[in-house]
Amino acid sequence: MNLFQTIFTGSKQALAAAEGIVKKAVEEKGRDHKVAFPDTAYSLPVIYAATGKKITTVAELEGALDIVRSLIVEEEMLDKALNSGLATAVAAEIVEAAKYVLSDAPYSEPCVGFVSDPIIRSLGVPLVTGDIPGVAVVLGECPDAESAAKVIKDYQSKGIMTFLVGKVIDQAIEGNVKMGLDLRVVPLGYDVTSVIHVVTVAIRAALIFGGVKPGNLAEVLQYCSDRVPAFVNAFGPLSELVVSCGAGAIALGFPVITDQTVTEVPTLLLTQKDYDKVVKTSLEARKIKIKVTEIPIPVAFAAAFEGERIRKND
Amino acid sequence: MSEKVLSIDKTTLDMLDKAKKDGVETAWDRKEALKAPCGFGAAGVCCRNCTMGPCRVSPVPGKGAERGICGATADVIVSRNYARMVAGGTAAHSDHGRSICLDLYHTSPDGDIKVKDEKKLMKVAARFGVKTEGRDIYEIAHELAATGLQDYGRQFGEPCLPPTLPEKRREIWRKLGIYPRAVDREIASVMHASHIGCTADAESMIKIAMRCSLTDGWMGSYMATEFSDIMFGTPKARHTEANLGVLEDNQVNIVLHGHEPTLSEMIVAAAELPEMIELAKSVGADGINLCGMCCTANEATMRHGVKLAGNFMQQELAVVTGAVEALVVDVQCIFPALAKLSESYHTKFITTSPKARIKGSTFIELDEEDRMGSAKKIITEAIMNFKNRDRSKVMIPELKSEAEVGYSVEQILNKLDGVVNSHIGPMQSAKPLADVIVAGVIRGAAGVVGCNNPKNVHDEGHIEVIKGLIKNDIIVVVTGCSAQAAAKHGLLRKEARELAGPGLKKVCELVDIPPVLHMGSCVDISRILELVGTTANHLGVDMSDLPVVGVAPEYMSEKAIAIGTYVVTSGIDTWLGVVPPVTGGPEVVDILTNRIEEWVGAKFFVEPDPHKTVEQIVARVNEKRKKLGI
Ligand code: SF4
Ligand code: SF4
Repeated sequence: MNLFQTIFTGSKQALAAAEGIVKKAVEEKGRDHKVAFPDTAYSLPVIYAATGKKITTVAELEGALDIVRSLIVEEEMLDKALNSGLATAVAAEIVEAAKYVLSDAPYSEPCVGFVSDPIIRSLGVPLVTGDIPGVAVVLGECPDAESAAKVIKDYQSKGIMTFLVGKVIDQAIEGNVKMGLDLRVVPLGYDVTSVIHVVTVAIRAALIFGGVKPGNLAEVLQYCSDRVPAFVNAFGPLSELVVSCGAGAIALGFPVITDQTVTEVPTLLLTQKDYDKVVKTSLEARKIKIKVTEIPIPVAFAAAFEGERIRKND
Repeated sequence: MSEKVLSIDKTTLDMLDKAKKDGVETAWDRKEALKAPCGFGAAGVCCRNCTMGPCRVSPVPGKGAERGICGATADVIVSRNYARMVAGGTAAHSDHGRSICLDLYHTSPDGDIKVKDEKKLMKVAARFGVKTEGRDIYEIAHELAATGLQDYGRQFGEPCLPPTLPEKRREIWRKLGIYPRAVDREIASVMHASHIGCTADAESMIKIAMRCSLTDGWMGSYMATEFSDIMFGTPKARHTEANLGVLEDNQVNIVLHGHEPTLSEMIVAAAELPEMIELAKSVGADGINLCGMCCTANEATMRHGVKLAGNFMQQELAVVTGAVEALVVDVQCIFPALAKLSESYHTKFITTSPKARIKGSTFIELDEEDRMGSAKKIITEAIMNFKNRDRSKVMIPELKSEAEVGYSVEQILNKLDGVVNSHIGPMQSAKPLADVIVAGVIRGAAGVVGCNNPKNVHDEGHIEVIKGLIKNDIIVVVTGCSAQAAAKHGLLRKEARELAGPGLKKVCELVDIPPVLHMGSCVDISRILELVGTTANHLGVDMSDLPVVGVAPEYMSEKAIAIGTYVVTSGIDTWLGVVPPVTGGPEVVDILTNRIEEWVGAKFFVEPDPHKTVEQIVARVNEKRKKLGI
């Protein structure tokens, strides 16, 4: 299948999944049931940024499926493919919102799920000063815990904020990666759709720090592309759904680096099979320059450890 | 003149008005005076290959005379005429390539022509099997030239075809029996086979013509380009301006027209000499303003950013401005009408090559022994002519456009390096281009080339086709007079990416290039072959598998016919915007637009409407993508 068709297929799968879970929400909770993510003034941030409309009820959430449908235009042109990626993002947000409808606490340790506004505000200053030089989204599954831990710890040592999605969370735990917001490694969730919680971080950054008016999608995308130094590492076999998520990332200006053989697109979608080079490849692709030179001491030394408490037995 | 719009270029229309006022005629007037062209010639069914004729047979099968006196059918006559056009075109390019080889043979460290690009010399020498290690640069250059020259007249063994030619393609040619031998031999072979009483089978005749054309694209033109780069430098991206507005009011305007870079290189160098500039000032001019026309312009602009005065149909109009002191020409595509035209103005029409003497011109031969001396002499003629400029007759159009030129394959690869992740690599490869094509970000690539033809609205075909293609995310490379049309209409600027589709626009932003890349002169179409071949090799496919097309929207010359033939034979579908004189031979038409695809995986499309051309190309590109699974 060619790349664009893969993206369209993934987007249609995302739409089907969203339709399914919304139907369940309607059946179990009714159309008038309230829809909201915890601790945010931006409703469903992706949809709010794209349309300027806040979703408050399940009925409105059901209506938002039309946004997804309208973004999937199966014509093999780049803009259509990127829009299809955005459709997947919107569908993912619908799925995730529905999870919060169907359950009061859809996420539990170690996963954090939705990232609240206060946390984003706290990230704002270090992002602007370059103290957080980049945002890595590590998704999928590495061949082993060791390579996963190596990559994540490397980001950590460089002060990069890393969000984890999928099995790589377990691999990070197995690999003794210390996690937590202060340590700049945040596991989001095991489903691919939970990747949307980092997308909304970028999008809320545009609304909060960039002062972009909700509804001005083009400007939101431009802000993310120019100002949010994020990128994606997709490890392990890539489903159509993941590929179409990747198209969404590219639409936001975030390059995708994978260990799989894919149809590469220079600077945007790259294959790097050597795990020792994933970090360097990713930083170059996102044009991230690390300010501080690494200090050759045995323990990873970086801002990510500022919040770490040394426990007695360590 | 009829009220039909003749050109989409404003300077052209303004100058045509002035020509009318000045009472001088142009090619458009002569076309009008010739009335409707002869239907037999237009259909290709007129034969003059022996004195039993001329014979003209009916272009409509089953009606009227079906055979010439010797018994040749319409298809035989058409195929022979077609083949002879191919031979004419091949001969023109090849003689051009030959003189470039000879120039390389005569390079010396203290001569007028030196080796400028050693790196390219080494690369080309290696492909010709010339040893380079520990040897003197000029020794290598001379041996390379001598080796290259052998392929013009080789009688034994196979010629040296570049490694960019995919192995699968070579095999196809071998199986088809059209693997090229020596350049001159194939030209002679066409002339022989088309003599009375020889080949009388359209299929066989066309194959002989195809074989001949290959010695042009992959040999004559290829060598001309490579060796020109070695001597004069491999083009790099640079800025220039285009259209008749580049002529200067108070400078000595010299327009270089023709083809071979040897002449233009010398003149460019000589015009920079302080003594020449002083001389210009001494006659009251502010300086010397060199501009180019046709392919000489392309050569000089690719390497020096020399301004582009205009393309083929504008050559007379440059004189009509009244501001050209000298129109300096060498060979090919030079209207003999310029001799008479320049009598009505102060312009000196200077011919320089014994291969193209024109009655009524001033002949100053480019002396092989003292090229610089000849160039100075030519420039001096121009300068001395400045005082004869009749100010009351001068009208320089204001219009000109910015353009970026200089996209040799080397330059393109350098640009592509800019988007290669250094931790992934490789550098200096066509991979980024192949990647974006495979991904579908760019749907395909098109080479838009060729001449102007007064049968078409001047420049309209070029511009409409180019705009239509880039809008559909098909990247366009241009050469020849098409490149100049693009330059004049602002399509060679980076800003032109706004006219491109979303994918191509993105790629142009990432790679920092215009959506239309000027790759040089007509012989530089070999650069396009090199780029396509390199991409095919990278993907491990044949050129006919790639979503790549060629277009000649306003072609006119036999060279264009030869080019189209080698492009198709190389596996690239080719669109012609002017109907070639083959319509009287149903079998020939069937071969060229249908059967040839079974042989070489590509065919000709004839479509005078540029918008339909774009639609057909997009459809065909998608078809090829589908077949390749991308
Ligand atoms: S070659 Fe045959 S068709 Fe041609 S002019 Fe002679 S007799 Fe006529
Ligand atoms: S494009 Fe055609 S007219 Fe122009 S220089 Fe080349 S052969 Fe001549």
